[in-house]
Amino acid sequence: MNSKGDSVARDNFTHYFTGVKGEIIVKAVQENQRLKRAIWMANHRVGETGVSDSGPLQQSLIYGIHGSTSTATDYFNQQGAAYFGELEEALMHGVDGMKSDGDRKAYPTARPLTLEIFPSWPMRYQQIIRGKSQSAGSPDSGSAQNTISQLESDSPVSIKVCSDHSGHQKQQEMMASDASRTGAAAAEQQDGAQEKRKAAGSARKEGKLLDAKTVRRLAQNREAAKKSRLRKKQLESSRIRLQQLEQELQRARSQGIFLGGCSASGDINSGAAIFDMEYAQWLDDYGKHLSELRGGLQAHLLDVNLSLIVDQCIAHHDDLFNLKAAVAKSDVFHLLSGMWTSPAERCFLWMGGFRPSELIKILMPQLDPLTEQQLMGICSLQQSSQQAEEALSQGLEQLHQSLAETVASGPFNDGANAANYMSQMVVALEKVAHLEGFVRQADHLRQQTLHQLRRILTVRQAARCFLAIGEYYSRLRLLSSLWASRPGENFIANESAFPTATDLQVIHQSQQNQFPAF
Amino acid sequence: MQYESAPEYWYVRQSRADPLERVERLASESAVVVFSLSTCCMCHAVKRLFCGMGVHPTVYELDEDPRGRDMERALARLVGAAGPPPLPVVFIGGKLVGAMDMVMASHINGTLVPLLKEAGALWL
Repeated sequence: MNSKGDSVARDNFTHYFTGVKGEIIVKAVQENQRLKRAIWMANHRVGETGVSDSGPLQQSLIYGIHGSTSTATDYFNQQGAAYFGELEEALMHGVDGMKSDGDRKAYPTARPLTLEIFPSWPMRYQQIIRGKSQSAGSPDSGSAQNTISQLESDSPVSIKVCSDHSGHQKQQEMMASDASRTGAAAAEQQDGAQEKRKAAGSARKEGKLLDAKTVRRLAQNREAAKKSRLRKKQLESSRIRLQQLEQELQRARSQGIFLGGCSASGDINSGAAIFDMEYAQWLDDYGKHLSELRGGLQAHLLDVNLSLIVDQCIAHHDDLFNLKAAVAKSDVFHLLSGMWTSPAERCFLWMGGFRPSELIKILMPQLDPLTEQQLMGICSLQQSSQQAEEALSQGLEQLHQSLAETVASGPFNDGANAANYMSQMVVALEKVAHLEGFVRQADHLRQQTLHQLRRILTVRQAARCFLAIGEYYSRLRLLSSLWASRPGENFIANESAFPTATDLQVIHQSQQNQFPAF
Repeated sequence: MQYESAPEYWYVRQSRADPLERVERLASESAVVVFSLSTCCMCHAVKRLFCGMGVHPTVYELDEDPRGRDMERALARLVGAAGPPPLPVVFIGGKLVGAMDMVMASHINGTLVPLLKEAGALWL
């Protein structure tokens, strides 16, 4: 997850995630797939492409957040008028043959036209399919019946999906899109298959006798199909554009070009801006190290191999300390302010980073089982780091006092004549330079604590330990995102902001890891 | 904590003594010796660290010593620092521990307390 600038704008969809558990994601994905199958079959049977494609819907499912809300509803506003006429047809021809499964919204075609007030689109598809297959009197009505019965069997599922609140529907769509980003390719293949079958289907119709009404209807269908194809193309090109932008952003980041919105400082070349970008990159790599650790633990690697991965993880932490040392020289206030980190992490900030004794306290329960000796080692580590933190804090406190005294020394109310207190400013500047020393000592303390943890623990324990550290901080970052995008807060304003693929992955992973070793 | 001023500064002969020698001599006179600057906040931090552990180091404020400058330079060479002298510098049992980062590192890796006990600065 990235620096604070992103956290507000991105992840605004996550307010749909309240109360989400892993099983819901899986269920939603399954239902999504069933839905797609139902639609595909409907298209295949009916032939004429009034129902055009689930194209836009699929696109929205794939496209996720941004696409689904606006484009899906637009699409159906367009189609609603066209299909209303067909529905009338269906009603007049009668659909008494259709049984009602007792599904809540199953076959409202048996009832008057109030049925049109569905919030959920798939039901419309199914009625229209049924309506058309009835009124068109296709020669394969036998197979149409089969289709219908298949649709019936599918519809309980679809109904379950659709009769939820539209909010939930979007939620599931989004979860589906999260979980099945790679499924996008598969979905698109399905799309392509549907196109071919559509073409085949329309060829069949030409052999029949068509009356004026049917001709008109077919023309409307063709128009609708054209519109939906156009829409699909638009969505597709937008999606490609989004991917391109993301790639550019990644490339630009690695080339060190500041693209805006990610740094507290406006100056591209400032130490703070550069550090923010480097930190964002560090976080990405950190995620990879953590996945490796997780994989290594689950694969039950030999200690010698696992220890390589653990050492890499520690070296990655050391890298961050080096980065921080560099920015401490150029802009110590940026480090101390914590603006490079997420809001929740900032809340716990101590001297520009985490407080080692606090971290150990959090880790202790995760490290069980520990031998007696290890337990003593960890406890004494916690105690010594607490003593060191206390000493540094007191030293910093004295520096604060001294700095305040220096700035406040000399006569006040002397007007704008800076020359009067310029000498004090010089002294104050020297004292500010000492801040760097404290931040460096604090980072040094953090580094030593992590290394000592590695020494006390066995390889597997150390792997779990560093995994737990990473997990804890990504939870804090997730908390920051959720807090930043809580309902009524920033969501509307930031509709145009996309979460990046990494963020979605992180969110997804965090969701998945809700019940890990913790 | 005992603040000492170096005793022999008024003997001309003595004032030509090698500052490094002086440092080493002073360092071996007490169990825990801290060379510090009265205005330095990091020195304050190391003093608080020892006090927090129940240790009472002997502190030499080099900015209050007429030969402090030379000693600072000697210390810088001892510690191996290139730039400005990295005060505070800590000696335990006459042996050099180092500047603040070395002290912290040795405390974290658990070697500081045994060292203090060995030098008789800490009981239990």
